[in-house]
Amino acid sequence: MAIEAATRAKAASVLVEDVNLSYGATHVLKSINLEVRPGEFFAFLGPSGCGKTTLLRLIAGFNVAQSGRVMVGGDDISGLPPWKRDVGMVFQSYALWPHMTVAKNVAFGLEERKLPKAEIDRRVKAALELVGLAHLAERRPSQLSGGQQQRVAVARTVVIEPKVLLLDEPLSNLDAKMRVQVRRELRDLQQRLGLTTIFVTHDQEEANTICDRIAVMNDGVIQQVGTPMELYERPANLFVAGFLGAANILEGDVRSHGGNRVFEIKGGTRLPIPKALPADPGARLVFRPQYAELNRAKAADDVDGLTGTVSHREFLGAAVRYSVALGTSEVTVEAPFRSGASLIEVGELVTVFLAPARMQFLAS
Amino acid sequence: MPVFNRRLVVAAAAVLVLSGAPHPAIAQAPTGKVTVVTSFSKDVTDPVKKAFETAYPGVTLEVQNRNTNAGVRFVQETRANNQVDLFWASAPDAFEVLKRAGLLQAYKPNTPGIPAKLGPYSINDPDGMFFGFAASGYGIMWNERYTRANRLPDPKEWADLGKAVYHDHVMITTPSRSGTTHLTVETILQGEGWEKGWATLKAMSGNMRSVTDRSFGVPDAVNSGQVGLGVVIDFFAFSARAANFPVKFVYPTVSTVVPANVGIIANAPNQAGARAFVDFLLSDAGQELLLIPAISRLPVNPATYAKAPDGYPNPFKGAIGLPGFQFDVGVSERRYAAVDVLFDQLITFNLEPLKAVTKAMHDVEARLARRDNPAARALLTEARTLISAMPIAGEQAASDEVRASFQGTTPQAKAPRQAELEQQWSNFAKEKYAAAAAKVAEAAKLAP
Amino acid sequence: MTAAALNIPRKPSIPLSQYLVAGSVALFLLLFLVIPVATVIIVAFIDPRSGGFTLVNFADFVRNDLFRRSFGNSVYVAAMSVAWGTVFALPLAYITSRFQFRGAVLIQTLGVIPLIMPPFAGAVAMQLLFGRNGSFNLLLGDWFDINVPFMEGLNGVILLQAIHYFPFILLNVSAALANIDRAMEESAQNLGASGFRLFGKIVFPLAMPGYVAGASLVFIKVFDDLATPLLLNVKDMLAPQAYLRITSIGLSDPMGYVISVVLIAVSILAMWVATLATRGRDYATVQRGGGGLARRKMKGLDKLAAYGVVFLILALTLAPHAGLILLSLATVWSFSPLPDGFTMAHYGKVFAESPQFIWNTLLYATLAGVISVIIGAAIAWLVQRTTIPGRQMLDYLAMGALAVPGVVIGIGYLRTYYGVTLPSGQPLATFWFMIVIALAVRRLPYALRACTAGLQQVSPQLEEAAESLGATKARTVRKILLPLMAGGMLAGFVTAFATASVELSATMMLVQNTSDAPLAYGLYVYMQSPAGRGPGAALGMIAVVIVGLCTYLSHWLLARERSGATKH
Repeated sequence: MAIEAATRAKAASVLVEDVNLSYGATHVLKSINLEVRPGEFFAFLGPSGCGKTTLLRLIAGFNVAQSGRVMVGGDDISGLPPWKRDVGMVFQSYALWPHMTVAKNVAFGLEERKLPKAEIDRRVKAALELVGLAHLAERRPSQLSGGQQQRVAVARTVVIEPKVLLLDEPLSNLDAKMRVQVRRELRDLQQRLGLTTIFVTHDQEEANTICDRIAVMNDGVIQQVGTPMELYERPANLFVAGFLGAANILEGDVRSHGGNRVFEIKGGTRLPIPKALPADPGARLVFRPQYAELNRAKAADDVDGLTGTVSHREFLGAAVRYSVALGTSEVTVEAPFRSGASLIEVGELVTVFLAPARMQFLAS
Repeated sequence: MPVFNRRLVVAAAAVLVLSGAPHPAIAQAPTGKVTVVTSFSKDVTDPVKKAFETAYPGVTLEVQNRNTNAGVRFVQETRANNQVDLFWASAPDAFEVLKRAGLLQAYKPNTPGIPAKLGPYSINDPDGMFFGFAASGYGIMWNERYTRANRLPDPKEWADLGKAVYHDHVMITTPSRSGTTHLTVETILQGEGWEKGWATLKAMSGNMRSVTDRSFGVPDAVNSGQVGLGVVIDFFAFSARAANFPVKFVYPTVSTVVPANVGIIANAPNQAGARAFVDFLLSDAGQELLLIPAISRLPVNPATYAKAPDGYPNPFKGAIGLPGFQFDVGVSERRYAAVDVLFDQLITFNLEPLKAVTKAMHDVEARLARRDNPAARALLTEARTLISAMPIAGEQAASDEVRASFQGTTPQAKAPRQAELEQQWSNFAKEKYAAAAAKVAEAAKLAP
Repeated sequence: MTAAALNIPRKPSIPLSQYLVAGSVALFLLLFLVIPVATVIIVAFIDPRSGGFTLVNFADFVRNDLFRRSFGNSVYVAAMSVAWGTVFALPLAYITSRFQFRGAVLIQTLGVIPLIMPPFAGAVAMQLLFGRNGSFNLLLGDWFDINVPFMEGLNGVILLQAIHYFPFILLNVSAALANIDRAMEESAQNLGASGFRLFGKIVFPLAMPGYVAGASLVFIKVFDDLATPLLLNVKDMLAPQAYLRITSIGLSDPMGYVISVVLIAVSILAMWVATLATRGRDYATVQRGGGGLARRKMKGLDKLAAYGVVFLILALTLAPHAGLILLSLATVWSFSPLPDGFTMAHYGKVFAESPQFIWNTLLYATLAGVISVIIGAAIAWLVQRTTIPGRQMLDYLAMGALAVPGVVIGIGYLRTYYGVTLPSGQPLATFWFMIVIALAVRRLPYALRACTAGLQQVSPQLEEAAESLGATKARTVRKILLPLMAGGMLAGFVTAFATASVELSATMMLVQNTSDAPLAYGLYVYMQSPAGRGPGAALGMIAVVIVGLCTYLSHWLLARERSGATKH
């Protein structure tokens, strides 16, 4: 289909270089550097107020940075107004114009580009077919469901065959069930179109499920860029570790003990630090609940493991989640549930075992 | 053109105000609030109020400023619970309406020295329902800066206003909105006769810049220089001069003099106060107040003129040329509405075609003056006849049938409704003006 | 009702409180609008000969050239005033709400000033500036020997009316622009639209409800206004014809009342058409992430052009007030570009002679504004939030007040309430509070429209949320609804207050004592004599300044309130 071929051919890289943006005294974007590769499905992920939408709007041209530049496909677009950027954006509220029909909405960008009428009709039809809404072309936006509106918004944007597609929390106005369905559709569509796509979300599951790479943002700073797996396995800092999935973050001290480095958590238990693993003084131990193993302990003073008492047990179906009190801290461990296996009871003394590869020490 | 010594008049007025002795003829001492509905401006009411309250301690004059129409309406609408003591205004027709509606009460003021007539006009209502306390002459007012800039000669006579040079420079109030204009129109109609009178009026009106519905609209436009000349009551010009506007005024050789009146409302809550006010206005003190420049009304007591500054126009001594005929109040009253409506339908609301044909006639005449053409002149005469043609005769206008049309509720099966009559008259004028325009166009072709 | 009941089987019954509110509003309208007006215009339906019911007077209306021409002129003038008003209002509304613009609040305030056009003074000032021998034409005549007929005939009426009433469009469009989700505009920019195309295809259509509301108000006001045409000596329009006929002495001709009925009918028709024009379309553009158009910075030439346009429009629309200032300071101003000399004496005279006018005006206009906002808010609430039968009628009825000439209301009040006496013996009709009521009724349409718009912005869910948390209906209205629609109510109050403060026609009939008279009456009294022109203009200026300050204050309050409100 025409759109796919065109978008694939046009897919461009996005390069953000040393961008700083302030609103008055508020420094919203701090030295942002970023590269999005052609055809990539990229996410800006972070809590609300982290600057991700600001960054997206900067790329679209709705915000102007105090310094730095934005390149699309190798061209500096920093000085261009939004309407000359050829960067398509789908808004959180969809921003479908209520006074126009669906077809008129989709045709808008093409009309602005002064394409011939026949060409517009053909492309509008193709775009609506792409999102499966050709039969609703003459409806008004208010007559559509939320999911349909969202698809119209996408069709309206991709029909102009932009170099980059920007999606500003496109799923946030949908109910949970729709969200799962629509995000798949989005992913499929992006794959078919081969469009460079940047997706803003605060929902890590959304980002993980559909994006090739993610930039995690907090407080106006990009914390880490990587694939969902990289971010999950090797978070660059405590924020990323905590923001993506559940993580145990244990406070303690890095010490020398019998010639070896150990991590001593408050309450006394110690854990040897594997040789190859970097650990600065004051670092925290980070591990995912399902990467730890739980064994019944013989004695409380076992120094080579994290020994503690089970304080809660939750049955999740595929796994059992234990909360273990370690001195003043508490960690969560998820053990796969095997039918017939005996479960550890609340109050039992346990050792939390961590394979060296599963440990990470991150500066606080 | 009367010239006033302003300072002298102010001084005279001030002395009067301070000394103001109560009128000797008061039967019971008036007290309390005297309410008067008036169309007079602050310039008039403020000094009178002050002098009256000084002359009658314990009395306050409550002045309700309303335009004449609203004032009449107010008195009519509130008759069931009347709170007004007096009606005080220029327009005689307003008093006629109130009188007919039984809203005035008779009184016989003690006014030695005030004659019954001023020229052909009665000063007081014959039935004693309202009283003229001042007179005003009608004349032409102009803005000197305007006439100089437009190179207009100073006007002298009514007929001058019909001259080509004044085309589109003159303004007048419609008689249906101004009792004084009405009286002037009626005077012209009585003096010159119905047909000829209307011919004069239409010739004059063909030069009008506009026909306004507010009497003050005319002096206002002349004062600000929006219009060059206006047909106005003298005091408008005098008070404008007193306010230093660059205007002049002249009484034509034959003018009209209109009394300004005061009347006591039937069931006036403060009878004694109302009578005191009438007496005061007609007293020497009251009469002399009229000489204040901002008021500039003509006293109805000839003796008062002795105290006037030099050059103050004295209509009793011929300062204003008054018509020599006997003004017929009866005829005037019977065709009152008809004259108003005729003026509006033939002139006010058909001013554009009338002006256009008048202008065209002036142009042809100008050309004929250079080189004559008898045939063209004949056509112009025909055009003039067409323009001055009237849909009804004078007697008809005063007939019961026509009157019934204007009295609304009077059941008179034969009488057309007012709206129908208006449409007939307006159509008549339109056709005649169009026909006249065709004649003038023909004449224009003949004129070299 | 049965059909509806079948369709919606379990319709909740209407609570008594709603009937109470609707009943009070209906009673108010009945007492102070319907009955007084009916007593006057009933004449239109009475056969002068038989005294019975007839429509023959309406046939006369249609058959009469003058009335037909007047009707055509009125429609033409009203339509052209809307067109010119649009030309004045749209750039101001767009530039001030779309860009970061220095003095936007000041401009919004100055944009409202033309509404405060003191009677007489505005027209006199405009004649002195733009008339055939006004300053402009005198200068043009000197320099180029030309004369531009700005103020001749219908043109003058159109110019003055467009200047006078364009703020209605400005206010409504500004409010509408403020409600557009910025994403609506940004998405269009994102798709390649900018400048005029963006405005024409997206922004203006989205602001259409506001525009239609403003434009219909302008159309109706101009159609029904009699003072401006009369002051410019234009008589062949409908409203002046009605006025001249109703106030003619000694004639009891029904045509004035027939015309009044026509005026009312056309006004209601215009409102109905306006409703139709926006009905069935979804304009609710405030969604999540809304918050009005983003204000952007302008640079270089754009900025210069924008300031230029704003300055030009303000200069033209404030010309009557500039003229008024000159007039109030002039010794003599006659047939010259500028007055002969300047003096402060007129202000001195006014302050010495008539300070009571100013206080009375503030009191009356404030009370009238409050009453009209209360009734307006009640009607808006009934129409939008309840299912009480006949609620739409209340809306139309209240809007009908727009079309009733002030003099008809005045006469109606005298007729209905003069016989009723207060304990003091004073007739109720001339009690000063009746002036307030008359002003409130005359200004109710403005307040109603503003309250309606204000309420439309408040999602019913916010009230439902409060109710679900246990708040009673009354408390919900007080604690949730009223604070949220405060902006709309304030806008309604400002318009009602500002215009009531210079209203003359109804007042003229009802003023009994000079001590009770408002400023407009004082102005009328002054403006009837040559020496009073300066003091009259001074009084007019004082009115403009006071009302302007009040307007500015409320804009400022509103702006502060908005910026203090939590962002979504």
